[in-house]
Amino acid sequence: MSDQEKKIEIGDGAAIPDPEDKGLISAWWIALVGTVSLLIILPLLKPDPYARILSFVPDGILVTFKVTIASISLALVIGLLTGLGRLSKNRFINLIASLYVEIVRGVPLLVQLFYIYFALGRIVRVPDIVAAVIAMAFCYGAYMGEVFRAGIKSIDHGQTEASLSLGFNRRQTMAYVVLPQAWRTILPPVGNEFIALLKDTSLVSILAVADILRRGREYASESFNYFETYTMIALIYLLITLVLSRLIANMEHRLSHYERR
Amino acid sequence: MNAADPIIKIRHINKYFGSFKALDDVSLDVAVGEKVVVLGPSGSGKSTLLRTINRLETISSGSIIVDGHDLYDPDEDINRIRMELGMVFQNFNLFRHKTVLENLTLAPIKLKKMDRGMAEEMAYELLDKVGIRDRANHYPIQLSGGQQQRVAIARALAMEPKIMLFDEPTSALDPEMIGEVLEVMITLAREGMTMVVVTHEMGFAREVADQVVFMDGGAIVEEASPDSFFDHPVHARTRLFLDQIL
Repeated sequence: MSDQEKKIEIGDGAAIPDPEDKGLISAWWIALVGTVSLLIILPLLKPDPYARILSFVPDGILVTFKVTIASISLALVIGLLTGLGRLSKNRFINLIASLYVEIVRGVPLLVQLFYIYFALGRIVRVPDIVAAVIAMAFCYGAYMGEVFRAGIKSIDHGQTEASLSLGFNRRQTMAYVVLPQAWRTILPPVGNEFIALLKDTSLVSILAVADILRRGREYASESFNYFETYTMIALIYLLITLVLSRLIANMEHRLSHYERR
Repeated sequence: MNAADPIIKIRHINKYFGSFKALDDVSLDVAVGEKVVVLGPSGSGKSTLLRTINRLETISSGSIIVDGHDLYDPDEDINRIRMELGMVFQNFNLFRHKTVLENLTLAPIKLKKMDRGMAEEMAYELLDKVGIRDRANHYPIQLSGGQQQRVAIARALAMEPKIMLFDEPTSALDPEMIGEVLEVMITLAREGMTMVVVTHEMGFAREVADQVVFMDGGAIVEEASPDSFFDHPVHARTRLFLDQIL
């Protein structure tokens, strides 16, 4: 394995299936088939409460997706800037970026969510969902920054030198040569972070954002079907992350085309 | 600048890596069309010297003037100067995410604003020249080392540089591939390209060089024509070096 083929391993998302693994008997397939079966069979066998839960929760799925996609987009931008900042030779920029990462890493996400939510509320009135997105992105931006930093660092310095020697400046070198290659190394951990973020959006349910978990809690507290509700919620989250992890694996496979002989 | 002026003027440069002195008061002139081959044991500073010429390596003191541009004049644009200086690396350093053709066209399109059609036409001509046209749409990893290095030479030539710098271009190659790369370099030399070549290929030095420079301990020990360098080396260290490798 050459230096460029090193993978960054950050494992708090979900297992990304190996795209080369075409076997039907894989953990991914078993989990998927099991999840889908339960999601179909339970409501059929016992429409009350399972079918009712299923009709109550979907509004929340949309909210969860909205929060996830908005947060990850913002986190990617913050992450790229943070990663570049952490690699910057400018002491001041480097310090700011490092400080940000240190702070975010040291404070639990739930505490950050509360903090940003209420701190933001003192300055401006923004909708709850926007506050939630900002808080999530602020936290994940720091992790994303580390991913970008590692990804950029994993690219052989010879690539940069070749680019500079042709007359490209540092910014062009980053844009045309380093980042397009780093992206391939970065994608698996970014995919991982994406899935981790999706799961962590369940925390925003405490901020009056009506995501999957919030909708579920609302239903459960009315009907007292706690066990059944949380079963369905767990299955819905599982289905989403299983599908996402497969999509990411396929994307990763496509991006690696130039590494295949 | 008149025609007799050297295109590269290196004056009393020193370079430190921490407390280690990598270059020790080095001065060197390269005339237009001249081929200079730099020899020396590993760690002698020859690659470092080559890399100072396009400022991939900065110097601690002294001056370097390339085609009339002072590399350390803050008013000069180093990126513009680098366009005049093609560089070939030991490890090829082809852009791994680009096809052979894209490796050649990227810089002309982005830096010279050449249109894609023209850039590709020129790229194909260069690939013909290095004998590798049929691999235009392959990725670097799909090529042999010798092929990659020939593409790397073509990539540098695509910017139509006035000077070509070669940093041990055959050192990472399997022996059977060295010939094909040297052949391309010899053709280039015959066409009148100004070349500075760091290498261990003595045959190439003898055949192509106008001037052989021998370095040891960060300093230039001996400068001579290839014939007198190989047949009548003056310095003891040069003789020792030649004894060891010939």
